[in-house]
Amino acid sequence: MNKILFLFLFFITSLGLIAQEKKECSYELKGVVLDAETREALPFVMVSIKGTKQFTLTNNEGEFQLDGLCEASNCLVITCTGYCNTTCDATCQLHHKEEKKHDSVIYLKPDVVALDAVTITEKDPNVEGTVTVAQSKIDNETLKLKPTQTLANAISEMAGVTFTAAGNNVQLPVIHGLYGNRVLVLNNGLKHGFQNWGSDHAPEIDIASANNITVIKGASGVRYGPEALGGAIIVEGSSLNFNQPLNAMIGTGYHTNGRGYFANTGISQGFRNFSYHIGGGYTRFGDRHAPDYSLTNTGKEEKAFNAGVKYKYNAFDFKLYYSFVDQNLALLRSSIAESGDSFVRAINSDRPLIIKPFSYDINEPNQETQHHLTKAEINWWYSDEERIVFRVGRQLNQRNEYDVRRNSYKPIIDLDLTTSDYQLEWYHKNWLQLNGIMGLQVFTQDNNNNPGTDTTPFIPNYNTLRFSGFVTERFTKDKNTFEVGVRMDYENNNVRGRDISQNVFRDDYSFLNLTTSLGLVRQLSENATFRTNFGTAWRTPNMEELFSFGQHGFKYTYGMLRYYMNENGDLKTDKVTPLSESGVRPEKGYKWINEWKIKQKTNDFTLTAYTHYIENYVYERPLGVLGTVRGPMPGFIFDQSNSLFIGADFTWQKKWSTALNGRLGLSYLWSKNVERDEPLINQPPIRTTYNLKWSIKPFWFLESAYLSLEPSYTFHQFQAPRTIDPQDLIDGEVEITPESEIFDFKAAPSGYFLLDVSFGFKVKQLTANISVENTLNATYRNYLNQMRYFADEMGRNFLFSLNYNFNAK
Amino acid sequence: MKTINFFKKYSLVALLLSGCFFTSCDKDDDVPEPENELEVITDVKLVFTNTADDTDVVEATAQDPDGPGVEDLVIKDAINLGTGKTYALSFEIMNNLEEPGEDIGEEIKEENDEHQFFFGFSTDAFSDPSGNGNIDTASDDINYNDTDDNGNPVGLSTTWTTSASTLSNGEFRVVLKHQPDVKTSTSTVNDGDTDFDLKFVLNIQ
Repeated sequence: MNKILFLFLFFITSLGLIAQEKKECSYELKGVVLDAETREALPFVMVSIKGTKQFTLTNNEGEFQLDGLCEASNCLVITCTGYCNTTCDATCQLHHKEEKKHDSVIYLKPDVVALDAVTITEKDPNVEGTVTVAQSKIDNETLKLKPTQTLANAISEMAGVTFTAAGNNVQLPVIHGLYGNRVLVLNNGLKHGFQNWGSDHAPEIDIASANNITVIKGASGVRYGPEALGGAIIVEGSSLNFNQPLNAMIGTGYHTNGRGYFANTGISQGFRNFSYHIGGGYTRFGDRHAPDYSLTNTGKEEKAFNAGVKYKYNAFDFKLYYSFVDQNLALLRSSIAESGDSFVRAINSDRPLIIKPFSYDINEPNQETQHHLTKAEINWWYSDEERIVFRVGRQLNQRNEYDVRRNSYKPIIDLDLTTSDYQLEWYHKNWLQLNGIMGLQVFTQDNNNNPGTDTTPFIPNYNTLRFSGFVTERFTKDKNTFEVGVRMDYENNNVRGRDISQNVFRDDYSFLNLTTSLGLVRQLSENATFRTNFGTAWRTPNMEELFSFGQHGFKYTYGMLRYYMNENGDLKTDKVTPLSESGVRPEKGYKWINEWKIKQKTNDFTLTAYTHYIENYVYERPLGVLGTVRGPMPGFIFDQSNSLFIGADFTWQKKWSTALNGRLGLSYLWSKNVERDEPLINQPPIRTTYNLKWSIKPFWFLESAYLSLEPSYTFHQFQAPRTIDPQDLIDGEVEITPESEIFDFKAAPSGYFLLDVSFGFKVKQLTANISVENTLNATYRNYLNQMRYFADEMGRNFLFSLNYNFNAK
Repeated sequence: MKTINFFKKYSLVALLLSGCFFTSCDKDDDVPEPENELEVITDVKLVFTNTADDTDVVEATAQDPDGPGVEDLVIKDAINLGTGKTYALSFEIMNNLEEPGEDIGEEIKEENDEHQFFFGFSTDAFSDPSGNGNIDTASDDINYNDTDDNGNPVGLSTTWTTSASTLSNGEFRVVLKHQPDVKTSTSTVNDGDTDFDLKFVLNIQ
């Protein structure tokens, strides 16, 4: 198994160095070996004194002690016995002795150690500022197995996390039933600035460039800002470690479904005070296929590049990072009605109306996006554990969408979004007995429509300006760690758009909001931890929710400020209501999330239970079928209501034997629009997975290998709204007004069973993997995929991938 | 602590300065450029003119006054023709959301090699063309009076002779297809995209 982790042996803490005045060989040295990235303790690391035969192993807490040393100052050699064959360099000159003081500390910093094949015992590497919130993490090696999958798909393995989609290429993460801009995506420390309105825009992030991804499942608005109402996804790039030999990686692979191929590469190297990383990749897919037919126009092409440098000067380190992603994503052709009544025919048909032979061509409807992200960061480590960070980021997101229409060569949506971030953060330890972060942030966004679309802009031009300040502090008393956070945001939005007659409309609105978080981690026993967190968060309805007007994709959509009821109770869309005169309110969320973790010898249990009340929850719902000159078209409106989400996730990891590991995951969510006493639409159904992984001992020429089976069952969504056949709406058999009970055009699909199989092995520096997705070639539709109205999901897919890692000595 | 305070103080100033700098850069007031809305058709008027008497004009209008707005399409008139008469059919196709209204018919004329009208009607409502039109079978008879640059029919002008027998509550359907790079002498109503698809009530008495 290619488990190369770059662990950053950041500091070794000597808890006591007692220099006694007596004779020689009576010194003792105590320390802790930690993973600098996660601050996890590293057990079974051999620590020896250079030039002597003295050595010891760290215990489960990463602590070690060496007695009977003859020198006050020693050179440590750290060897990770039991985990890797690499001898880790210890830099002698950095190990110095503090005079006599009993609790003095020795730091080795910053030493970088490449450890090989580490199985980290799962501690809780919770992200600073959100330690009381349940979270999960995916590491680089898991990401490497399927580098072409979307960010959302990659994290959907976690309990409580799934994705909503508009086909195979556009997938958005869903955390506990919430998605879109209720889930903040933090891309290398910056909020990913993209057109995050709508469920058909996915974050433009190449997961092959990510070192790890953390999902925070609670309201983390205090730490990350208004849009982290439902949670946050933290994507981190290469860690840019110092003192790291040249490492070069190349990976390539092939998918049978869609005849997709990809290649990616990464080079990194760290010197004493300088390090760099460069990476890039290319992916190309053609039309995917469902078990019974080709999914015409579902290919994609993606190019990605990223580069980072880090430089250390005394107590300062400087980081620069740049990433670029260029995507061309096709959307299912048959999702766009071709003639008047074809929406009805498409919805009622078992097969898509347009099926063509396989092709790599990407035609309309499709989305072209380019995302540039640049970041500069200065860390001032004014003490070994405390720092002040200043981060500046600038992102440019260019999006062109093409639709099936007259002049289809012109984009129907052509937007440039520029995002700037300024963040100043102070990470402190033991300041008035408090550990925590204080920060100030300035965030601006500038969205512009480029002329030449030959259609009225779906989204107006706007400028957002936000000033924020936050404090999150943690203190530990006995077995309890408390965390308290407060955040204040002032946000101003200035909007300029055009209505259908090309008249200009304007709006300008500001909000001042307070976000709070209160949490506790309690060590219940040696093997059990309990976390609880109560967090509030708020969010301004986004531009689509407020201002969208007209056709986008297969439907007509009206934002909350674009429709109103006149005195006769008729729905009208002839004017734009200023926000201040409308009933539209910001969304406010109150989430209480609890997590119990129990670790036994061969069993690990994690239970997460939450309840989330959202005031003025904004959602999109079907309005009816609108008569147009082209024929009947499905119409949707945005609406808001107080809603309640209650759910639980459960995972059970069992070591059946030393080689056989099992993991059961179960996610359950109950949700309701409590204001209107009706169900919510597009909520994740119950899902359960079991992963059985057999680690195979070396055989033949394989150094290590594994085989894994992952059956999963997704239930029918029994909480879905009632169904009304679009034909009944056209015939006028059913009358629908905005006051009517929510409905859907098509019933929620039935439950489905999927089986994924994966086999991987490692020979020297080469890692190979063969996976089969949807092994049984099951025909199914996913309730959270918009394309469920039109087509089945992908059929069986064989995925081959190869990774070669070159490490200079 | 002293250094922290020092740093905090000055970085705060730096932050505010840079914040102002950026906001002054980003805070613009640009409005989206007005777009020449090609997608929207609000009014389609069918004009049947008696070829023997150009004062005998029958008009029928379909209107979706708010275009992509929420209001439904309204078929305002039935088509009431006389028996045994010959009419020339022309169209007035407008986007009246713009001020002044935009003549989409002109645009179609300019792009005539990308457009074709298809017709469907109650069987034998007309003696010429007979049958039920070319929506179900594209090769069926329709009297197109115009052709595009490639010699293929367009349909901005057509000729119709009603049958001698009366018809009430019949159907007259007209579909305008947009067929860029698709239109040939054999292309059908299923090729390309629909610009409009309207059904009128047809009475012949």
